[in-house]
Amino acid sequence: MNEQAVRTGIALLLLLGVALGVMTYGGLGYRREMAVAALRALVQLVAVALVIAWIFSHPQWAFAYLALMLVVAAYTSNRRIGGDARDRMAILLAILLGASATVAIVSVTGALEFSAQTLLPFAAQMIGGAMTAASLAGVRLRDDVKDQFTVFEGYVALGATARQAGREFAQRAAERSLFPTLDQTKSAGLVTLPGAFVGMLLGGASPLLAAQIQLLVLIGLMLAQTITALITTRTISPVSA
Amino acid sequence: MSTDAHEHVFQLDDVSVVYGTHAAVSKVDLAVHARQITAFIGPSGCGKTSILRSLNRLNDLVPGARVEGLVSYRGTDVYADGVDANDLRRRVGMVFQKPNVFPSSIYDNVAYGPRLHRLKGSLDDRVEAALMKAALWDEVRTDLHQDAHRLSGGQQQRLVIARCLAVDPDVILMDEPCASLDPIATERIEELMIDLAADYSIVIVTHNLQQAVRVSDMTAFFTADYAEDGTRHGRLVEYASTEQLFNAPADPITRDYIEGRFG
Ligand SMILES: Nc1ncnc2c1ncn2[C@@H]1O[C@H](COP(=O)(O)OP(=O)(O)OP(=O)(O)O)[C@@H](O)[C@H]1O
Ligand SMILES: [Mg+2]
Repeated sequence: MNEQAVRTGIALLLLLGVALGVMTYGGLGYRREMAVAALRALVQLVAVALVIAWIFSHPQWAFAYLALMLVVAAYTSNRRIGGDARDRMAILLAILLGASATVAIVSVTGALEFSAQTLLPFAAQMIGGAMTAASLAGVRLRDDVKDQFTVFEGYVALGATARQAGREFAQRAAERSLFPTLDQTKSAGLVTLPGAFVGMLLGGASPLLAAQIQLLVLIGLMLAQTITALITTRTISPVSA
Repeated sequence: MSTDAHEHVFQLDDVSVVYGTHAAVSKVDLAVHARQITAFIGPSGCGKTSILRSLNRLNDLVPGARVEGLVSYRGTDVYADGVDANDLRRRVGMVFQKPNVFPSSIYDNVAYGPRLHRLKGSLDDRVEAALMKAALWDEVRTDLHQDAHRLSGGQQQRLVIARCLAVDPDVILMDEPCASLDPIATERIEELMIDLAADYSIVIVTHNLQQAVRVSDMTAFFTADYAEDGTRHGRLVEYASTEQLFNAPADPITRDYIEGRFG
């Protein structure tokens, strides 16, 4: 164990200990949950770091890692939406297309070097963002259809299939699923310093390089999420079975 | 007058509608005559809507809903394998209790069906013809591209009727189409129904017995029985010409209902 890791460990213990102390002092509940969450984060991040470190030295496994991530993302998002196996497949394709379009552009242009070191974290972030968009868009779609079920029935009563009728609700659901990203992008650098930017500065990169990478992530998310939200809302079943 | 002398659009044989394990309405036998108005009447919860929605298979959208018995539309079992419910729904249009206009312009509301089914001919002509038949054209011809939600309730209901007419239906189902309308708008819809019955077969659910008497040729009276465990089971009591059902009901239950409601 190197010295840096020891120092980090000490800092983490202090951060958590003081946080719990302040919570006790203020009479706040959820101290246990806070401690457990911190422990979980520790285990998860260390595990992921080890896996990624291993993949960096065995780059041929990068695709397997991303594929696994994609499947987990589709399962997670489909569970939020309450879909069936067919919906899960639709969501998986939506996330895959959204994320790969983005990765294709940044790698073909050479904006990011074609290597596991750069493309793996980038692609992972795109899959994560696309998953969020799929969940939001799918939940929205089904909520909207439920709220306006008589209008939905109106389309069906004219001979539309459930999916065709759902398409009439898809645009608004997809649009609204993009609001969080829109806000995040608008406020980037003003209200908040986004994650990649902070991380790169902490890692010693120049602020301009950090900004470039952060822009690739933010605008990349826009593309990935737009594609994913559009496909999700147009291909999943608009009503739960 | 023998019912067999008529052309039938729908024939129901021992039809029940079941939600999960609850048989909401059972053993319904009746024939819907072509180019006539058939009214479904009866107390709340007796299954009028359930039976109506079994005709265009809109029950398919309700998880756990099942239709038993035979519903045949012009000789075809509508629940048979291989029947395209979407095709059926184009031939059997529906008007709902609350006008459910689409969130788009008047024109786009009417054009939705023809676009969906890629119907041949000029879309403008089709929209105009449907609005004319629904007696709405004169009121909206100058603002076809306005938001349909700006129309009054009665106009919205006529727009929904025009939307059905635009896909050349055979039958129009109406579930309490005047329930949310004032008397004048109601009268306009009633006049319209009578006009449309020259070309279309109409089935209307109504709680307004005077309305059934004014517009319908045939009337089906449903009632609900309560089982010991409190569950409600609907059934068809009597189906006859409107004149006969209201003037000389065969069943005392029908008579009590009609007298209670009229008297
Ligand atoms: N989606 C559903 N799920 C479960 N039960 C239902 C459903 N729709 C209707 N029912 C039940 O079926 C029975 C008949 O309902 P239906 O709506 O057909 O009656 P109705 O005669 O149209 O009543 P109303 O005059 O109040 O409109 C009722 O007991 C009702 O609770
Ligand atoms: Mg009803």
